[in-house]
Amino acid sequence: MRADSKPRLWQHVLFLISFSLLWEFAANKGLIDPSFVGTPLGIATFTIDNFFNARLWGDLAWTLFSVLSSFALGSVCAIAIGLAFVTWPRFEAFCEPYLGALNALPRIALVPLFILWFGLGVGSKIAMGFSLSFFIVLSSTVAGIRGVSQDHITLTRTLGASSRDLFFAVTLPGAIPVLFSGLRLGLIYAFLGVVGAEVIASERGLGQQLSYLASTFAIDGVWSLMIDLALIGMLIVKLLNMIERRLLHWQ
Amino acid sequence: MVDIQQLSLSFDGRDDVLQDVNLSLREGEFLAVVGPSGCGKTTLLNLCAGLVELPVGQRLTVAGHAPRLGSANVAYMLARDSLLPWASALDNAAFGLKVRGMAPSQARTIAANMLQRVGLRGFEQSLPKALSHGMRQRVALARTFAMNSPLLLMDEPFGALDAQTKLHLQDLLLQLCHESHRTVMLVTHDLAEAVALSDRVIVMSSRPGRIIADLQVPLPRPRSIRELQTNDAFHHMYQQVWRYLESGWAQHEG
Repeated sequence: MRADSKPRLWQHVLFLISFSLLWEFAANKGLIDPSFVGTPLGIATFTIDNFFNARLWGDLAWTLFSVLSSFALGSVCAIAIGLAFVTWPRFEAFCEPYLGALNALPRIALVPLFILWFGLGVGSKIAMGFSLSFFIVLSSTVAGIRGVSQDHITLTRTLGASSRDLFFAVTLPGAIPVLFSGLRLGLIYAFLGVVGAEVIASERGLGQQLSYLASTFAIDGVWSLMIDLALIGMLIVKLLNMIERRLLHWQ
Repeated sequence: MVDIQQLSLSFDGRDDVLQDVNLSLREGEFLAVVGPSGCGKTTLLNLCAGLVELPVGQRLTVAGHAPRLGSANVAYMLARDSLLPWASALDNAAFGLKVRGMAPSQARTIAANMLQRVGLRGFEQSLPKALSHGMRQRVALARTFAMNSPLLLMDEPFGALDAQTKLHLQDLLLQLCHESHRTVMLVTHDLAEAVALSDRVIVMSSRPGRIIADLQVPLPRPRSIRELQTNDAFHHMYQQVWRYLESGWAQHEG
């Protein structure tokens, strides 16, 4: 028996082709209503047309800009506050109930407020992405620093290290594995938050395009956009995996 | 090198850890400290390293001064290797020197020599995950000895190793101490280790820790761990330390 049970590429291709043919056939014969579920051919046509449409790239840039800025802003604030929490545990204890309540709130409920405050542009999208990524990165910063080996800290202190040396030589690199998994999740959630806010109300963005297409019953377009979003998500994960392998090769 | 007079220590003013400890350590002397768990052996080391603050009015000096955390006179070695997992063997061996302010290139040169000395030539670029427990503790020895501190404080440095690896590393420590004139204070649970390595063994009682025996080890140097296995004086000394340790327990039980 062969040890590797991983499906081969041709198996996936075969499965996808048969699935699409079956779908196309059922839609043509009127077994399912194409105006609600679309057709594979329609999706493919839309995807190719859309690829050469400047609007897609504009929306993509808009969405990615919101995701990256909300993630960057959320992470920087979270790491700064996380460091403050580790340095002043009483500050953390005081903030804990408020942060707990905010974190428990389904953040998507804030979108109407964010739109009132920041308008239909990128502002409200960045606020949404921020509100999701911030809490994830914050808890991983605190957990990462608290989890640094006490042996390393003791040893470095006996060597006479200053707090600054201790932080950069031991605490920071020691916290990176946990911190990085928080950053990874934070980026994925920033993406979720931004697209979610765009779907609700936005001037532009992939989520806005998707929402518009759905409201005009362009189902093929909705599917096509969902595929685009899934591809972007997978690309983000792949990129993060690459960075992680480089950064944490010592693990 | 170390001078302790009538030292008593309690945490929170209630829990007595050490009681009336008098100890004076000559330069170049190798002292082993044995005693039951929780007798304050490690606390004694931590006091010398400045990791535990010396209460006001207590007298303990290291090289004539009150202990100070990070003093260049002292190198500390822990039970677990405590190598930085993201740094190569060479960078780990150089870590102490670098933290103490030496230029990185000079620190690496010294560390590379030390690695060769502990038998790790060719492993300079290896990460700790690629090294065995014994090799990692060799790197930790290289890091400790590279620093040239006159006083070495060792807290069960070989406690986490298997029996055979332990014997090799004890031999290595004997050689390193023989070559470089150091004063060593070694805390251990292993009585054979205490007798084999040291010039003098002190036995402590269970908490609060008092010194119940202070014994000279009548074995000539240089020593080899393997030859000691067949040495009568070694076994006699081992028995003697055992009896003191047992008497310490008996007192505690009574």
